[in-house]
Amino acid sequence: MTGAAARWRALVAVAAVVAVAAIDATPAAAEYGDVVINRRAERGGVRPVVFPHWFHRIRFRCKVCHSELGFRMRAGANDVLMADVIDGKFCGMCHNGQTAWGAEQCDLCHSGKPGTPPGIQGGNETRGPGRW
Amino acid sequence: MTPLRGSSLHGRTAALALALVAAFAAPGARAQGKAVYDQACGVCHNAGIVGAPKLGDAKAWEPRIKQGVPALYAVALGGKGGMPARGGNLNLSDTQVKSAVDYIVSQAKVRATTAVASAPPAAAPAPATRTAAAVASTPAAQSPPASALPTSAAQPPAAPAATAPTDPPASSVAKFAPGPTTVAAAVPVRAPVSGAQANAFNRLLRPPAQRNLPPAEDGIHDPANDGTQLLQPPLEAFGALPRSNAGNRVDWVKALAETRIQPRVDRVDPKAEAVVMDLNIVREVKGSMPDVVYPHKQHTEWLDCSNCHPAIFVPQKGANQISMAGILLGEKCGVCHGKVAFPVSECRLCHSKPKPTAATAAPAR
Ligand code: HEC
Ligand code: HEC
Ligand code: HEC
Ligand code: HEC
Ligand code: HEC
Ligand code: HEC
Ligand code: HEC
Repeated sequence: MTGAAARWRALVAVAAVVAVAAIDATPAAAEYGDVVINRRAERGGVRPVVFPHWFHRIRFRCKVCHSELGFRMRAGANDVLMADVIDGKFCGMCHNGQTAWGAEQCDLCHSGKPGTPPGIQGGNETRGPGRW
Repeated sequence: MTPLRGSSLHGRTAALALALVAAFAAPGARAQGKAVYDQACGVCHNAGIVGAPKLGDAKAWEPRIKQGVPALYAVALGGKGGMPARGGNLNLSDTQVKSAVDYIVSQAKVRATTAVASAPPAAAPAPATRTAAAVASTPAAQSPPASALPTSAAQPPAAPAATAPTDPPASSVAKFAPGPTTVAAAVPVRAPVSGAQANAFNRLLRPPAQRNLPPAEDGIHDPANDGTQLLQPPLEAFGALPRSNAGNRVDWVKALAETRIQPRVDRVDPKAEAVVMDLNIVREVKGSMPDVVYPHKQHTEWLDCSNCHPAIFVPQKGANQISMAGILLGEKCGVCHGKVAFPVSECRLCHSKPKPTAATAAPAR
């Protein structure tokens, strides 16, 4: 009896948290999986970078970036300098004028609203410390 | 040179935003505080997970606020008990964390003052406003970090540097000032809705017209940026793909299986093939929820073994402690699900193996 009650409580707690997550996600209209990269961008005087997962996953499997190219799978964990991008690292491994358009198209990457904090956007439901 | 133009635009937008503060009582500092809070703190402080004091719960916050706001800053930055340093998001700058604390404090205050207002207006409101003033003066006293807000940092070439540092404190005073601003701020979590909107059939569920918005309208892209207009609107791409009920509202597994999309396995070689492993792992779930079937097949279509093993999961059946609470905090399956892969609201996709009826009957004993 108590066991069943405890389980129900666990279930209700889970449902409540999911509900809260889903509801407070409502005002954020960004596309699911968009990542804002803004460790340095605004300090460097440019808009934050918006990385769209949906767009890239139509063209590449996750492993291309997160294994082959070595992007760490945690928002903000990649310390990117613009010089690196131009030298063909990080985004520059593809955005080099060969695989995809090159680093001179500043506006396409640096397209975020000023003041947007770094991190995953778009009504994400799991948040907080990615502890692993 | 576009970025330069962009940054002076920032300056103008920031100035504009500050000018609008008076009109809309939505100060930039508060907006930032709320944005940071929603992203990094709400997961625990909205619902009170692991003992976190709830946002707006004046009773829970009062004794804490009494220690003084600098003490709260210190805990928010350094952690304490169940409260991880910077909410676990180490990328947040000091200013961002502090703005989130200011937001939390303002919410506790707002609710406290509204509660007090309905009681006889005795001595109570006075201390409330006094502490509010103290709060407002804290960021002012630490003017340098306050002016290090991204918006102002983004305008180094803009000459009116003299006005910039004075502006944020001004707006933060406005934020806590009693009077019309406080009234507007008394409905903090949601924008007031008027007229026909108020009784809309769906109040919280986002209507289809507001899903998959084009970049210029999605709230994170800057519509004033030329490049934003060149980006592809998601719906243009999703039109041809099988739909689902959550996330991007695209069934990515089906889209791949039906070769509606052909994402490359290698950066340059379009012909490389994925190494797919078909191995299901069933995780029994206590209670009435159906058991979880973890399918290696769908995952190895997209991911490499090293994306999960050994950092997230020890490759041994049953060797990993997994719980929904952990998943919601972004651990285990929650590293991807709820962020990029389909979200946690889709219970049935994971909890897909119904219990034999005998087993569900048993716990009723
Ligand atoms: C392919 C995408 C991409 C393009 C194109 C791009 N950037 Fe960046 N840029 C980034 C990323 C990612 C960062 C890291 C942002 C962060 O961590 O905040 C960055 C950071 C920066 C920074 C701050 C960090 C530093 O190294 O100083 C500046 C300044 C910058 N970019 C300027 C530019 C300019 C100017 C252009 C156009 C010539 C440009 N970027 C084009 C992706 C891009
Ligand atoms: C084109 C490259 C690319 C592809 C393809 C890609 N990602 Fe990412 N991913 C990124 C970048 C860039 C980041 C941001 C890292 C940062 O902020 O430092 C990221 C971040 C993440 C994060 C961290 C989010 C957070 O909140 O911490 C997760 C999870 C993730 N990706 C999962 C996936 C999955 C699952 C797929 C496949 C469906 C995928 N990614 C495909 C580049 C990619
Ligand atoms: C993983 C859950 C979690 C997250 C995420 C989190 N908090 Fe907390 N927070 C807690 C808990 C638990 C406490 C209560 C700690 C205690 O009193 O021992 C707490 C307490 C606090 C306090 C009161 C400190 C005191 O001295 O009483 C502040 C201020 C605070 N959090 C701010 C923040 C801010 C700002 C963020 C986001 C940047 C954040 N928290 C994110 C769990 C969390
Ligand atoms: C694995 C290769 C790869 C990597 C790594 C990569 N991209 Fe891309 N990206 C592409 C391709 C291919 C396109 C499509 C180019 C085209 O339309 O010609 C693209 C397009 C884009 C677009 C335009 C989307 C649109 O609506 O047209 C943006 C913005 C973008 N990338 C940002 C980034 C940022 C920021 C990073 C680094 C964090 C990054 N990309 C890393 C391959 C990559
Ligand atoms: C998306 C994450 C993910 C990926 C990618 C992944 N695995 Fe796993 N793997 C798991 C999980 C989860 C388990 C179950 C662990 C448990 O039950 O505690 C598991 C279990 C295993 C086991 C133990 C099976 C048993 O019966 O004990 C092996 C072996 C394994 N994986 C091999 C691989 C190989 C080889 C690849 C690459 C082809 C791979 N995994 C890719 C998540 C993943
Ligand atoms: C490294 C990232 C990652 C982790 C960790 C992960 N998944 Fe997934 N999972 C994905 C991706 C990507 C897909 C493809 C579908 C999508 O993106 O929505 C997927 C698909 C699935 C599917 C297939 C749904 C279908 O329509 O067939 C199931 C079931 C699933 N995941 C369960 C789990 C469970 C349970 C765990 C934890 C034990 C887990 N996943 C951990 C990335 C991940
Ligand atoms: C990404 C896959 C995934 C999704 C989506 C998911 N779960 Fe779970 N759930 C799991 C895993 C994995 C476990 C741990 C099973 C175990 O004990 O090994 C679990 C465990 C549980 C438990 C047992 C108690 C606990 O916390 O461990 C409950 C109750 C539960 N889930 C409810 C739900 C509900 C309700 C939903 C939908 C709102 C949901 N789950 C969505 C993967 C998922």
